[in-house]
Amino acid sequence: MSISPSVVFPASETDVIFELRCEEDETVRPLAGGTGLALLARYGFLQPTRLVSLRNMREKLGQISIPQPGALRIGAMVTLTELARSPLVRAAADVLAGAAGLVANVRVRNVACLGGHLAHADPHMDLPPVLLALDARVEISGPCGVRWSSIDDLISGYYETTLGQQELITAVEVPVAPGRRAVYRRYASATADDWPSVTVTAAIEARDGRVAEPRITVGAVTTSPLRLRAAEALLDGVALADGNRLEAACKEAVDAAGETVRPGSDIHGSAAYKREMLRVHTARALASLFTRARSEDRR
Amino acid sequence: MTSSCTTISFTLNGRAVEALVRNDETLLELLRREFGLYGARESCGQGVCGTCTVEVGGMPVSSCIYWAVQLDGAEVTTIEALSRDGALDPVQQAFIDAGGFQCGFCTPGMIMMCRVLLRDNPEPSDDEIRRWLSGSICRCGAYPEIINAVHAAAATLRDKSDAGR
Amino acid sequence: MTEIGRSRPVLEARSKVDGTADYVINHFRHRMLHAAIVRSTEPHADLAGIDPDAARASPGVHSVLTGQDVAQVIKDPYYGPAFHDQPILALDKVRYVGEPVALVLAEERHVAAAAAALVDVSYRGLKPVFDEVAASGEDAPLVHESLRPGAAFADLRHLAGVRGTNVALHTRLKHGDPDPAWDGGGGQVFEHEYRTQQVAHVPLEPHSAIAEFVGPDRLEVESSTQSPSFVRLELARLLGWRENQVRVIVPYLGGGFGAKLYMKLEAIATAAALIAGRPVSVAITMDEQFFTISRHATTTRIRSRVDETGKFLARAVEVYWNGGAYADIGPRVTQKSGFIAAGPYRIGAVAVDSHAVYTNRTPAGAMRGFGIPQMVFAHESHADEIAVATGLDPIELRRRNLLAEGDLHATGTRLESAATMEVLELLAAKMRWAEEIDRGSGTVRHGRGVAIGLKAVVTPTTSAATVSLAGDGSVTVRQGTVDMGQGSSTVMAVIAGQALGVPPEQIAILPPDTDATPYDMGTLGSRSTFHMGNAVLAAALDLKRQLMVLAAEVAGCSPADVSCSDGRVAGLTFEEIMTATHGARAGTVVGYGSYTPRSVAPDPKTGQSPAITPFWMVGGSGAEISVDVQTGRITVDRIVCVADAGVALNPDAARRQISGGVVMQLGMTLSEEMRYEDGQLINPGLGLYKVPTALDMPRDIDVCLIQHPHPAGPHGAKGIGETGTFAVSPAVANALADATGVRIRSLPLTAEKVLRGVYLRNGRSLR
Repeated sequence: MSISPSVVFPASETDVIFELRCEEDETVRPLAGGTGLALLARYGFLQPTRLVSLRNMREKLGQISIPQPGALRIGAMVTLTELARSPLVRAAADVLAGAAGLVANVRVRNVACLGGHLAHADPHMDLPPVLLALDARVEISGPCGVRWSSIDDLISGYYETTLGQQELITAVEVPVAPGRRAVYRRYASATADDWPSVTVTAAIEARDGRVAEPRITVGAVTTSPLRLRAAEALLDGVALADGNRLEAACKEAVDAAGETVRPGSDIHGSAAYKREMLRVHTARALASLFTRARSEDRR
Repeated sequence: MTSSCTTISFTLNGRAVEALVRNDETLLELLRREFGLYGARESCGQGVCGTCTVEVGGMPVSSCIYWAVQLDGAEVTTIEALSRDGALDPVQQAFIDAGGFQCGFCTPGMIMMCRVLLRDNPEPSDDEIRRWLSGSICRCGAYPEIINAVHAAAATLRDKSDAGR
Repeated sequence: MTEIGRSRPVLEARSKVDGTADYVINHFRHRMLHAAIVRSTEPHADLAGIDPDAARASPGVHSVLTGQDVAQVIKDPYYGPAFHDQPILALDKVRYVGEPVALVLAEERHVAAAAAALVDVSYRGLKPVFDEVAASGEDAPLVHESLRPGAAFADLRHLAGVRGTNVALHTRLKHGDPDPAWDGGGGQVFEHEYRTQQVAHVPLEPHSAIAEFVGPDRLEVESSTQSPSFVRLELARLLGWRENQVRVIVPYLGGGFGAKLYMKLEAIATAAALIAGRPVSVAITMDEQFFTISRHATTTRIRSRVDETGKFLARAVEVYWNGGAYADIGPRVTQKSGFIAAGPYRIGAVAVDSHAVYTNRTPAGAMRGFGIPQMVFAHESHADEIAVATGLDPIELRRRNLLAEGDLHATGTRLESAATMEVLELLAAKMRWAEEIDRGSGTVRHGRGVAIGLKAVVTPTTSAATVSLAGDGSVTVRQGTVDMGQGSSTVMAVIAGQALGVPPEQIAILPPDTDATPYDMGTLGSRSTFHMGNAVLAAALDLKRQLMVLAAEVAGCSPADVSCSDGRVAGLTFEEIMTATHGARAGTVVGYGSYTPRSVAPDPKTGQSPAITPFWMVGGSGAEISVDVQTGRITVDRIVCVADAGVALNPDAARRQISGGVVMQLGMTLSEEMRYEDGQLINPGLGLYKVPTALDMPRDIDVCLIQHPHPAGPHGAKGIGETGTFAVSPAVANALADATGVRIRSLPLTAEKVLRGVYLRNGRSLR
């Protein structure tokens, strides 16, 4: 942290949005948990002149609820620990609770909020690809009112979002599909607490004994979370009871995944290794998804 | 009118306190600079090693990336609260008996983490302990002894609560 | 009831669990300035200019210092334990990314850190070199214009002024048959090359130092150093002062592992304090540690002739040590580890060529093991490759070749009090080697591997201590060994307590302070229990003799008739003796001891000596692993470590040293690596440089101590702090080969390397 910013503590959403206004020579950011912001400031990537603390919004933006049947609403200031432990989330979208419990470490999860997690747009973050696979929508408040965005419209690149300067993520809504099954797999190539080199989320619903609404998303290997639509299409409509056909479809989906994604080389592995890990973990995610009897694979 | 400092009021180890903080100051810097509490230390500076662990609102946090300016009204607990009347907390004693440390730099943070674990999970398994502590680094490699300390502390706490009945 | 061999909590246990343990970063001096280091962004460049104006103008900044400013007050501002090659702040050129170029002083730490970013440095780039073998070649860019060995070392003097090379030192060992005939002859010749990576020590407490000139001719330095006596003499040398004008104080260290040896931040702090006229604190961050010191990357070429029974007939080893930009203690690592590079084996003809090489990387120095882990990785991987090729069982191959007690080592010194065979056999038993294992055939394969290593403790070195008695009979030990968690203070208290009949818990062990604690070469290389232990023992016995004389006077008898037991001498308590002697509760009696073991310097051409070391260390490791052959990820399920421990004065503490060394070494085996891209270190700090967590630890770490008293050790004790590090890497590499047939000859054994190996064996490749 270098030059000390000023900090304001607005008490309403309208005030927050107002305080987020920014002159040309200023850098203004919302401060929720602040874990991501602290790192950006420490390493000199950000030198905020004003911080807009969201402390007073905790009550309003920190709720998890079912506003109407079929919709799970998670306030932007819900912490990752709250998300991981919430009985509502576990019941409606267990894969999300599970993934939330794996982000960074427990001390960070106790403080970091969902809104900040999404706004940070670090490609190695666990939740954006999971939310993408669940067809989540992000509620965004701004000077002109409220708008909604999909995850892949929100996160546009490496630490980049489409949020405007005076826009604030206020909630995430996840459609609840009673028959949906989903798995999240996270592979870290070095130590257990490392950022993942690849993540795969796979979700399906069942309709008339066939695969419906297949979703396969990947994280960490591309600069923003990616849906593998070509791979998904290969699974769509396959009969769940037809073991051979299902296995073949999964193989094809894995191949499609390997073809579609162009990972970059970085400290977590070469492009070739990451592509192979993407294939392996897509295969394992699908196998886990389709085999009820098997217990969760080791990491 | 902008200011780069803020006065905050919070509870520290059970005492009501007030402090003037730089707006970009961390909780860790505040504890050491203003209150002379050296149990929490700066190591990785990124929140990943746990050497700076303290409790805020009963939850362990990485104080080196916690914005002090957000502490108003909060309850902060540090390692120094554990042995104020001279007696050691059962987790602290268990760490001594099991030899759960070597250089000691990570130890207060480890102990804070282990206390929270035992509060929520009075009989953790080895796997649960390892998973809980996976973000608390000990370069001296005292992990086996730390795990033993947690089991021993769990037993002590169980005996205490049984005796209390 | 003896104190020796009883496991006990360390004396300072309470302060470590209640947060009151003292570290330098807690210290403050009146009017102290905080320093932030401006570091080079170029790996190799001429310093074209430094513009401090913007930084100087920052509010709260006191001053900005450069190498030129330092050279005004310190005549020859170059330091180092072997070579005086490292400038306090860069002069004329920079030799690695991260090299200190300027220093910002401010009233507050965060102000100094922010202002450091405003110092504008310009460079004229020079061609850099990063690889140790390339750097030793004839056309390599030169890191240093000429070699600058320190005057103190007779065996380095011949290097002074040598130009045109990056090889700082080339040591040789030749033993037995001078011309072993590699071509023709019976048996087979095996030749392999092994590489290890540059790694960082990562003590959780980053280095820090405070320097203050207290008066015109006295310097006080508080430092997180493992070698206070060295810091004192080196600072005195730099200032042109006497040693008795410099005081170095050391509280606890939050880990050392060799990172905090010799000169680290003390010279910068001292120069700054001298210029500023105020105390200066230099405290670096975790990230900055990666730009301060590291462990040598190595390339080792090892060639062996082996007969049809598996006997090693001849071995030639060529080692290149990547010393980085400044020598630090690298030349000694090169020499001392070079001596054991051929392994703990009976071989008729041995030749070792060991090269300390300059490159444009973070300097490499001493790290737990002092080069032994890298050498053992090479010779023990090589041994298993020979075993596989000849169809011999790996334990049997070692059994046939291992040096036994009394055998002549390749240095020409006999192996004495070195339980090599016993370590091997116990290792085999603990690994249940005779039982077959199921290696699996699916996604997860299993395998096991063993390795054994030998180290010679560094010599000659000296430790001195005093044990003194106050008027009330309480005992104080003054010694310079730095306790960084290994339990040294407790061991010294045990030794003194045993000698005097006093409970160790009642003995005060002062923190090292060169004004009070006598000379110690350094807390390194597993030397302290043996050397300082002997010094403390001698001092305690000296005190006891003096007490016997005093007691005899009081009791009116001859000292020869005085008996000692249970803390009484001639039936009198220490307090009674003191009161009777001085007429009141008064006085001090001081016992003194100094220990320098006998040794003979090795012949410069052959490395031979009849007494190369006062004690040998032997450590064997076994690993049982699982390998996911779809991802390449290795899980270490079980590690066995068998240590030849002499006599463990505090057995639990000894075991913790072994298992702690194992955990650290596992990180260096599987996940740790300092990674460079275009000369830039891309992963400083714990976010990207991954050290083992509790979840990475094997489920089972089985530590076995073999205890045979060493004849010269205090109560038979000898060093074990590094023993756990010797053989872990090759044991895992050998287990990997056992599980999958994949042989990886470079560390770390990353998942990607393993997967590429698995694919290669199956005729596939990763695209």
